[in-house]
Amino acid sequence: MNILKYIESLRSNMKTLKKVLIAYLVILVVFDVVIHIGHHGHYFIDNIPGYWTIFGFIGCFILIKVGKGIAHLFLSKDEDFYG
Amino acid sequence: MDSWIHPAFFFFIGSLLLPFIKGNAKKFIILLIPVLSIIDVAIMREGVYGSFHFLGTTLVFGRVDKLSMVFAWVFTIMAFLGSLYALHVKEDGHHAAGNFYVGSSLGAIFAGDYLTLFIFWEIMAFSSVFLVWYRKEKQSIDAGYRYLLVHVFGGLCFFTGMMLYAYKTGSFEFERILQSGAGIPEYLILAGFALNAAVIPLHAWLPDAYPEATVEGAVFMCAFTTKTAVYVLARGFPGFEVLAILGTAMTVYGVFYAVIENNIRRVLAYHIVSQVGYMVAGVGIGTELAINGACAHAFAHILYKALLFMGAGAVLYMTGTAKLTKLGGLYKYMPLTMIFYIVGAISISGFPLFSGFVSKSMIVASAHEEGRLMLLTFMNLAGIGTFLSVGLKVTYFAFFGKEAPIKAKEPPKNMLWAMGLTSALCFIIGVYPDSLYVLLPYPVEYHPYTLTHLSEMLQILSFTGLVFFLLVKKLSPEEKLNLDLDIFYRMGGRVFMWIDNYIISVIDGFWGELYRTLGLKILFKNGDISYGFDRKVIDGVVDGSAYGVRGVGGIVKKLQTGRIQAYMGFAVLFIVLIIWLLIRGM
Repeated sequence: MNILKYIESLRSNMKTLKKVLIAYLVILVVFDVVIHIGHHGHYFIDNIPGYWTIFGFIGCFILIKVGKGIAHLFLSKDEDFYG
Repeated sequence: MDSWIHPAFFFFIGSLLLPFIKGNAKKFIILLIPVLSIIDVAIMREGVYGSFHFLGTTLVFGRVDKLSMVFAWVFTIMAFLGSLYALHVKEDGHHAAGNFYVGSSLGAIFAGDYLTLFIFWEIMAFSSVFLVWYRKEKQSIDAGYRYLLVHVFGGLCFFTGMMLYAYKTGSFEFERILQSGAGIPEYLILAGFALNAAVIPLHAWLPDAYPEATVEGAVFMCAFTTKTAVYVLARGFPGFEVLAILGTAMTVYGVFYAVIENNIRRVLAYHIVSQVGYMVAGVGIGTELAINGACAHAFAHILYKALLFMGAGAVLYMTGTAKLTKLGGLYKYMPLTMIFYIVGAISISGFPLFSGFVSKSMIVASAHEEGRLMLLTFMNLAGIGTFLSVGLKVTYFAFFGKEAPIKAKEPPKNMLWAMGLTSALCFIIGVYPDSLYVLLPYPVEYHPYTLTHLSEMLQILSFTGLVFFLLVKKLSPEEKLNLDLDIFYRMGGRVFMWIDNYIISVIDGFWGELYRTLGLKILFKNGDISYGFDRKVIDGVVDGSAYGVRGVGGIVKKLQTGRIQAYMGFAVLFIVLIIWLLIRGM
């Protein structure tokens, strides 16, 4: 099937794929800087170029670390906990 | 004015017909019911229909306005997609439960007074629980009972509030309530509604019951209960600050659990809490943009969440498990299911060109417009968690990742068609947001496709993706159960049993002992005295009546055939008899 071949070829070219994705991330930040030129919003978060880049990065980091951390601390029990 | 047909009518009558139809005709009827209801909604005009005077109050079955119409549209469309997905199900009872559930949800959104609303509200709970029980496994039966228990509690809150409200205002009319005038009755009604919307801390029933429902039942359940609750909140309680705060808390709470859960359907169920949180927050913010956003998001959410549950259900149906720890590498065997699941996942995450982008952002924008930056920050944090858990984690560990020793196939055709159609709708709404915006209760001046919005969403989503791939090992699913607030009633039940087993049985034992040693002696003494009396006077009377009782017992024994249908028959006869006596008495 075509979809399968397509996925397989992506998986075998991981290095190129990574480079493309990193380039995409850089372009994204540059794009955000460009649209901020001459643009003034109401609130401070509207006026920081790349604010949502930092937000996405740190937010995701926090969610994973805090989530897994609390889970391991006391939330996770064996699956037959309730019998 | 009388040309209005309640769309619930098709669902109620249709499910009663099902047992008498066989083969392909039955499948035709199953699909015809929602199609007729969609046509009915399409030709419906705004107005108030079906008012009845009953016991000194007015029951309104058909309040048709813009707000109820948005929900009627998506409920009937969803009923069609869900029925198509469930077409292969053999049990008539399953279809009937689904139809009664949809019908009563429609009844609830068109209800113009609290009494009518309450009746449909209860039918919803009691019909949907069968979608859990039809899975026929022990944990489903248990979860179903807990689901019912919690909903009966919510219903009682609602009922008490409704009665106090009627006492206070002298009317059962279901209209907008202002925060400034709200007292105990209003907040009790609010609590009853909030329980159905899974507002924390009243949310634990949802991730408890939905993952235990049948594959097809879960698709129905994820659409109707919480969204009916969003509708009644939007109708009755817009602008309540408590909803804005709790709703935003829900968005983060839900994704937090979704990040750590292992079972795909539990991830999705927690994710409903998160998504409904956006809608509840929108209702709480209460501006026109926010209410529009809540309705638009309910509409879009019903479709893509159903799509996700269809995908997860297809995986469960074909592989026998929905646990990420046991899945992996499914892209080879179920590529179409994977594509449809991914469409649902990127819709829910709010990728441009898909429905979440045009609906969720309305609520976030309303928070921004009102200067509620804390709400905005937490909502966007939840947006990160959405893409992380539903988009990346599930897709990666189920369809890619380490290959599991499972050989699966694509699910039956009807399931694929249902997923395909739902995917198409998610895409159409994303590309032509006006197709959704025209249905909204207030005129829309919002444009989702602006450069700043595009840039904001793409940054959030893309950098979430980056962190996911950096930390993917940390995120690997674990076969664990994560505690939630249901521990209070699950363990509370045990405390009750413990009190019963130990404390009450100790008292009982002590009492028995006291009775044996002291009571019996007194009794014996007493007995000697009464013996004489008994011998001479009572015997004659009792013996006579004993023969009488034995005779009646013989007749009753013949009635007790041990067959449940016979009992039900007698019960019906008995009720008919009582009604006849009542009518004759009047």
